[in-house]
Amino acid sequence: MAVRSARVSSVVPRRAVGVDIGGALNLVGAMLRYLALAFLFPTGIALGYGEPVWPFLASGAITAVAGFGLERITTGRDRIGAREGFFVVSVTWLLAALFVSLPYLFAEPQLRHPVDAYFEAMSGMTTTGASVLTDIPALDHSVAMWRQLSQWLGGMGIIVLAVAVLPRLRVGGRQLMEYEAPGPELEPLAASIRATARRLWFLYLGLTGAMILVLTVVAYTGLDEAMTFYEAVAHALTTLPTGGFSTRARSIEEFGAVSQWVIAVFMVVAGANFALTYRALVRGQLRAPIRDEELRLYLGLLALASIVLFLDLVREGIHTGEEAVRHAVFQASSIMTTTGYASVDFAVLWTGLAALVLVMLMFVGGSAGSTGGAIKPIRILLTGRILRRELDQTVHPEAVLPIRFNGLVVHERTLRAIGAFVLLYLAVFAVGALVIAIDSGRADLNVGAFDAIAAAATTIGNVGPAFGFAGPMGSFEPFSPLSKVVMIVLMWMGRLELIPIAVLFTRSYWRA
Amino acid sequence: MKIFVVGAGQVGATVVEALHSEHDLTLIDLDPGRLSALSNRYELRPVQGNAASRRVLQEAGLVDGALFIACTSRDETNIVAAMFAKRLAPEITTIVRTTREEYVEIWRERELEIDHVVSTELETAHAVSRLIGVPAARQTDIFAEGQVQMVEFDVEEGAQADVVGLPLRRAEIPPDSKVASIIRGDRTIVPRGDESIEPGDRIVVIGSPEAARAWSQLLSRSDRAVDDVVIVGAGETGVAIARLLLEQQIRVRMLEADAARAREVAELLPEVRVFHTSGLEQDFIERERIGHARAAILAMPEDAKNLYAATLAKLHGVRFTVAIVHDPLAADVFERAGVDVAVNPRTVTAEEIVRFAHDPRVLQLSMLEGDRFEVLDITVREDSALCGKAFRELPMTGSLIGAIVRDGRAIFPHGDDMLQPGDRAIIFTESSRVPQVERAL
Repeated sequence: MAVRSARVSSVVPRRAVGVDIGGALNLVGAMLRYLALAFLFPTGIALGYGEPVWPFLASGAITAVAGFGLERITTGRDRIGAREGFFVVSVTWLLAALFVSLPYLFAEPQLRHPVDAYFEAMSGMTTTGASVLTDIPALDHSVAMWRQLSQWLGGMGIIVLAVAVLPRLRVGGRQLMEYEAPGPELEPLAASIRATARRLWFLYLGLTGAMILVLTVVAYTGLDEAMTFYEAVAHALTTLPTGGFSTRARSIEEFGAVSQWVIAVFMVVAGANFALTYRALVRGQLRAPIRDEELRLYLGLLALASIVLFLDLVREGIHTGEEAVRHAVFQASSIMTTTGYASVDFAVLWTGLAALVLVMLMFVGGSAGSTGGAIKPIRILLTGRILRRELDQTVHPEAVLPIRFNGLVVHERTLRAIGAFVLLYLAVFAVGALVIAIDSGRADLNVGAFDAIAAAATTIGNVGPAFGFAGPMGSFEPFSPLSKVVMIVLMWMGRLELIPIAVLFTRSYWRA
Repeated sequence: MKIFVVGAGQVGATVVEALHSEHDLTLIDLDPGRLSALSNRYELRPVQGNAASRRVLQEAGLVDGALFIACTSRDETNIVAAMFAKRLAPEITTIVRTTREEYVEIWRERELEIDHVVSTELETAHAVSRLIGVPAARQTDIFAEGQVQMVEFDVEEGAQADVVGLPLRRAEIPPDSKVASIIRGDRTIVPRGDESIEPGDRIVVIGSPEAARAWSQLLSRSDRAVDDVVIVGAGETGVAIARLLLEQQIRVRMLEADAARAREVAELLPEVRVFHTSGLEQDFIERERIGHARAAILAMPEDAKNLYAATLAKLHGVRFTVAIVHDPLAADVFERAGVDVAVNPRTVTAEEIVRFAHDPRVLQLSMLEGDRFEVLDITVREDSALCGKAFRELPMTGSLIGAIVRDGRAIFPHGDDMLQPGDRAIIFTESSRVPQVERAL
């Protein structure tokens, strides 16, 4: 008996928390410090246009002080543990959106409400592109450009940027990048993770530069009267991250056909795997991209959706000729890559069938390793193969059926993770849609079932526009603060692909 | 020729048996019991010791050896011994037996200082896949870069009447082929035109690959080709067989009892459908329609299981079964029990090794009926007495020229054709006559 009680008492002291929160926050602080530098860009624009500079300088100062302070009061480790990684990534994104929202609070009357400011900032950082603004042209140039830049920063990912520049992330940085990078697995482009991160940013910068150049040429050759250098920069900053914020009230509708085609092409590139684009453009390897099964599915679905939309538009007589082709391709690309631009007010003008196609595309998303959100073609492809195998296995229980992707066997562990991801994605989406529907009903808003579904799908998929009053030319402003908070969470979870955040809500995560 | 054989196991014994009468043999093995068992039966010099030791090799008198055959069951011993042998006697030809395909690959990349590598798995796989291509065959071999094929058939009741029961000169024998021998019980008949093939005979045919297939169709009860094969046991041998069958566009299913191995093979061979099962359950066999397979290859490590599985497969309607047997005495038992062909990997390996021991002019050799008959591929000397004579004038002996290869093309000779110097002759002969044949040509 004595022995037994002794044994029990040895268990009694409460187990310590198994996560090194101090070390994790220390790293978060170190990364936020660098975010302060981003505020210099809108400061420069404000100076150029003679607009107030202080909101950005103040925000930058607060961010820097907060970052340094956080680093000061905690003790860092030279390497970050796998478990702390989830916490670091999740919290970094929450806090980054908070600091990004500061200039809105300080300078923009439409975003005086903290929830609105935070929504706009989260929508920017997560490259969603949903907006609570009702009068976009009223924005100062510097504030408008800050919105665009927030998407550009969030697109490639702040962690990727941190891995590229922070020396202490040489070890353990890979894990962090895995959590942040879209898709089930990170494809290394170089021997070290640091070099991979740098190459990704180099390519991202290069593509952004190329798009600015092309649009500027379009502007100065008179191909499109509405296009200017300013707009070229603003839209390149939100196309490559598949963001979708625009400086114009009616999004891309305000530009000419040539600009729309250019933007469509860059959206498709931004929604493809950057590793493949890197190989094709930098190394000149074309074979791997051509044979890539995900790229084929991605382009195939884009083509299919474009054709269905085109036929529907022509049959209903909504658009004709080149216009019908352009709007069909543009809208399919914009929604599927989760960019969220609109070349036309599809929520008002298009049919129910077209609306349904677009909402379905919201679940597809861009390729793994792109800046797009949502489920991603590779997961859809592998989920299909898992289902096919289940059917096969039902008839042939003893058959051993490995699943392959691009000819290589996919680990069963990865397949389980993909199945779990898809289920979790749908579950979180369903809960989100339900809460939005209930809350909107309570607030007496005109939100139908389809609108609630679209609002949840567009935020968790980081797409942007929804239907109803939150359509491409509308605003999310009428939603109640609770719905907005739900959507903020959906955007945050969608961007980090659920799992790093979801594990924080499990008990076993916190146990030693 | 002075030949050194390392290893007195099954392969070693088969090699010794085939070579002892014509060559000066030295046999090296660690086990005195096995050594004396062989040295009592055959004329050879036994050396007891570890062949992977330079001293042992030196003392065995390796320096003036011509051929060094390392065929123990241990790959590493064989390789080390052969490398030492090469150092001690740079002129010696070394042959190494291996069971790992990796060594074959390394050897092909010329990273192993060995003249020839014989892989048990690959040789077995070749033997089996050749059988699958010609369903009614007991044994088959290919010569002259695939232009000439030798096949041994069992003539069963119900074979087509075009060839059976008729004198050979009247029978409709497929063109470009010859009946080299009729084996009736213990008697061997070198067939003349008035001889006939009877049910129950075993015959040896030499001809073009097309003719071999035609013979197979004449003699097998089903004329359909094998296109769906079940391999039971996904070990190294099973996988090697599967690879060769896939190359022939044959659909392959594999059964493997070990879960991890089944998974490994499924990942390795995407075209093969792998099942994790012992393959011995009634239920599974019916559900997966194993009986619909045209052939079953039993390649499990245990002979008894292979026999059981073969019988089970037959029961469920598989027409052609090939079993891998490891016990040298089991092959007969298996074939009596109803397995169509039993293949012993060690015999196959020994056969391949023996090829190298013959006259350097002799390119290839195959053994039939144990070692009663051999098929030789000999280049005709300029001063051969047989040159310039028409075939019908050649003396009838226990040997037969099945085909000649002239300027790289196979000719299936008729009575008027003549042998010319430089021809390669594919000769079927009794083993005891091999030295005579080599001298005559």
